[in-house]
Amino acid sequence: MDAYLVAVFTVVLIYALLAIGLNLQYGESGLINFGHVAFFALGAYASALTALAGWPLPLSFALGAFVAAVSAIPVGLAALRLREDYLAIVTLGFSESVRLVLQQEREITLGVQGVPGIPKLFGSLGPRLTDWAILGALLIAVAMAAWAAHWLKNSPFGRLLRAIRDNEAAVVAVGKDPAIFKIQVFMFGAALAGLSGAFYAHFLTFISPEQFVPLVTFYVWMSIILGGIGSLRGALAGTLLLVAFLEGSRFIRDIFPGIAEVQMASVRLALVGLAIIVFVLWRPQGLFGTVQR
Amino acid sequence: MPQQLRRQLLITPMAAALSTGAVSAMAQSAAPSFRIGALNPITGAGSPYGPGMQRAILMAAEEVNAAGGAGGRRLEVFAEDTQTKPDAAVLAAKKLIDVNKVQAVLGTWASGVSLAVIPLTDQADLIQMNVSGAPAISTLDKKDLVWRFQATNDRFGAAFCEIAVKRGFKRPATMAFNNASGIGNTEGFKKAWEKRGGKVVANIVYEPNRPSYRSELQKVLAEKPDVIVTGSYLPDTTIILREWFQSGEKTAWIIPGWAANPDLVKALGPEVCEGIISVDTVSAENAPAFKHFDAMYTKAMGRSALTNVYAPMAYDMAISLALAMEAAGPGASVAQINAKIREVSNPGGEPVSTFAEGKAKLAARQKINYEGASSKLDFDQYGDVSPDFGVYVIEKGQLVRRDIVAIPADYRP
Amino acid sequence: MSAVTLVNLLLNGLIEGAVIALPALALTLVMAIARFPQASTGDLATLGAYVGIGGQALAVAAGISASMTSMAVASLGAALAGAVVSVLAWRLIFLRLTRAPMVASLLAAIGLAFLLRSLITLVVGHDQRTFALPLVRAWNWGGVRLLPSDLVIACTALAILAAVFAWLRFSRSGRLLRALADNADLARLSGIRTRALMWRLWAVAGALSGVGGVLLGVKSVVMPELGWELLLPAFAAMILGGIGSPVGAVAGALLLGVGQEISVQWVGPSYKIVVSFVVLLVVLLIRPAGLFGRPEAIR
Repeated sequence: MDAYLVAVFTVVLIYALLAIGLNLQYGESGLINFGHVAFFALGAYASALTALAGWPLPLSFALGAFVAAVSAIPVGLAALRLREDYLAIVTLGFSESVRLVLQQEREITLGVQGVPGIPKLFGSLGPRLTDWAILGALLIAVAMAAWAAHWLKNSPFGRLLRAIRDNEAAVVAVGKDPAIFKIQVFMFGAALAGLSGAFYAHFLTFISPEQFVPLVTFYVWMSIILGGIGSLRGALAGTLLLVAFLEGSRFIRDIFPGIAEVQMASVRLALVGLAIIVFVLWRPQGLFGTVQR
Repeated sequence: MPQQLRRQLLITPMAAALSTGAVSAMAQSAAPSFRIGALNPITGAGSPYGPGMQRAILMAAEEVNAAGGAGGRRLEVFAEDTQTKPDAAVLAAKKLIDVNKVQAVLGTWASGVSLAVIPLTDQADLIQMNVSGAPAISTLDKKDLVWRFQATNDRFGAAFCEIAVKRGFKRPATMAFNNASGIGNTEGFKKAWEKRGGKVVANIVYEPNRPSYRSELQKVLAEKPDVIVTGSYLPDTTIILREWFQSGEKTAWIIPGWAANPDLVKALGPEVCEGIISVDTVSAENAPAFKHFDAMYTKAMGRSALTNVYAPMAYDMAISLALAMEAAGPGASVAQINAKIREVSNPGGEPVSTFAEGKAKLAARQKINYEGASSKLDFDQYGDVSPDFGVYVIEKGQLVRRDIVAIPADYRP
Repeated sequence: MSAVTLVNLLLNGLIEGAVIALPALALTLVMAIARFPQASTGDLATLGAYVGIGGQALAVAAGISASMTSMAVASLGAALAGAVVSVLAWRLIFLRLTRAPMVASLLAAIGLAFLLRSLITLVVGHDQRTFALPLVRAWNWGGVRLLPSDLVIACTALAILAAVFAWLRFSRSGRLLRALADNADLARLSGIRTRALMWRLWAVAGALSGVGGVLLGVKSVVMPELGWELLLPAFAAMILGGIGSPVGAVAGALLLGVGQEISVQWVGPSYKIVVSFVVLLVVLLIRPAGLFGRPEAIR
């Protein structure tokens, strides 16, 4: 049972990194990013391909985060010109375009066949230790990301960001360019997603373009909404809750043995949907969100 | 439709009892069990095939247990859904391996899923059986624990090529669903065709889940091919063929058997499907093992196994495994059972077509050769089947087998 | 590229756009009034498609053999089913979230989408279904091809769109809804009873989605993922046309449909989706509120 739980928690932490990044982007810079999976994908591919080419893993991971951050620049620039509601679909378009490029450019990415045999992080430690080591590394990464996010919020930089969010005109009047700051936050969130992607690739050991679909972004949004937008604790709690819904539903069969195997998948999805609806009705602001006035 | 539900509900108690083995008191006190993980695509892109595959594995286990078990053990099946996604499949596999403690993982369908799951089963030294087509699976199978019950993409492509040559086509074009399997099949065809010095006039790859493929079809038809070879699935094939027929252009079609099946005829009608060539590795609809399986499957699912070429393969997985267990004897380890798989399936023994038959012959100390419901099941050095291909032509709404094509076991593109 | 090919691609694009236009319109209506992206629109379309299949089967069993009539029955059933489920969803879920942040409604909509899809698969399974329609060869004018069924689809879509536009423009509810979209607080202050309006809105949106599902199902095949797949194009169309603009949603759908098809000649089938996003981006950079959206902030 513990190896399964280690795997589940590994997934939780991978999503947590994504959630912290997205939460920062939306909470601090107000940019509605529905293309988060693109940064995830770019980080995964950059790290996987370079690792397979012989790069040491730490370097591959760093490259994954870097590539994701850099790719956030054009998106961030476009985001500044576009209005909130409209940004969502454009960022979604961006992530779909990234996925299609990864799918079509077979020379580099191996296309639809995917990239198998990615070196497993800490793979040399043997089966049991490897899984625990990955979990440990992710815990450290998430802790550091959470700390960085927290620092960001409470630092002068963070205060500036909130000022921009609350009254951009005033900030401009004081002579500061809000755009730069928003982009920086956006890049940082993207870097976290890229790092998460690297962990994902070296945990799963196989990646393919069809794994980086918009649904992943929706799951991350669901996590931060469940947890309460803008709250760091919320991002973490929400991720845990979402994965609990998604994975926990697997064990429904033990409670309802009368369901045919084939129907289990539908029952699971129904329960997940129902759980989400009930949760939102019960607590619309999320676990740690504040009730808006 | 209601009929199907009724039948499903009948099977439910049996299936539930089988799968919730740990919950049932019976299991604890009865004979030792061998735990099988049925890991199939119940949802996602593979959902037309996964439920049938799952049911097939459950049926095989029921059959084996009814015949007294295999190697002194009863088969216990734990089923999970891969959702046709590698990351979901990994968690499902981990649950099966870690929580349910299965000793074999059967029935992964998508290449991506198999490629993600095999490192896990290999690490745990478990047997893995799949129906995926990607060539990479053969190289990933380092411990010889992986068994592929479906011809590789290259072999399929070579079969398409043979068929096209035999029927005198000169200007083939390909249309491929944009995923590993679709492209794998058409590229396998292209490689084989070009090896013979021919040229493929057009190669179109189309995206999944589109409502219409009119422009893609137009591009292909513009090159005036005499035959179009596809690497496609049922929904997209339905759309493409419908649009082709309505365009009025004349061309022949060679389509994989999982797409060109009775459901396709049902959706489009006999006129549209007349003359379509459907290719798959079902050994023969007259083969005893297939007939035996089809009877059970039709009763349980309300439709013939011809509508799901992967179901007989999944059934064969469990039966071959059971026969190997029987051959390895009571208390055999996974490795010992694994070592017997080729022995009970490859040529050089008495042909058998059901588990009971095989068990009896093994008891009489005879070497057996299980000729399966899906194909002859002769495994090469990579654990891949090298089956014969049935060439079926749709005539008046029925799939009629017109030919058999054999690709040499050592075929390399 | 020859003129014939161009015209063919144009026609393809218009038909595809016409089918997407209905859900796009549903999305923009809900977005304008209820102020959140109704993410279960797609699965309402799937529901409509399946109800349509059942409706047609019933009609045929009852002796109606003419396909136009049986399809009309199917579409009516789909519209009704879509409307009913949509109104129920509003009453039981979204009404209670009126004061909640937008993302809460969005999340609830996603949950509802999952629920709808799973209930459908529980009842009818995962197999594909097709509408029982006779297959007719396309009309062919020197290479320019048009399918009779496509023409019917386009005309049906047009008729429904025209009906909804007329309702918005000339009926009392329509005018009140437009007032509500313009300025919710002012509208309420002037005494407009919003609840009675709202259920009409949700019913119309649901009916549009349901019929959209039938049209899509006629064109392709009916599968559980049918609606989810058209969410993205429908959203893109809504944004391109400008949130809250019914004309915009339709124009956006048609433009994107045509743009995608024509681009296949140059970028190939896989990248044509990228083309629609590039088009969207370019338009938004020039006109941030979309083609027909209003320049001032909606919120």
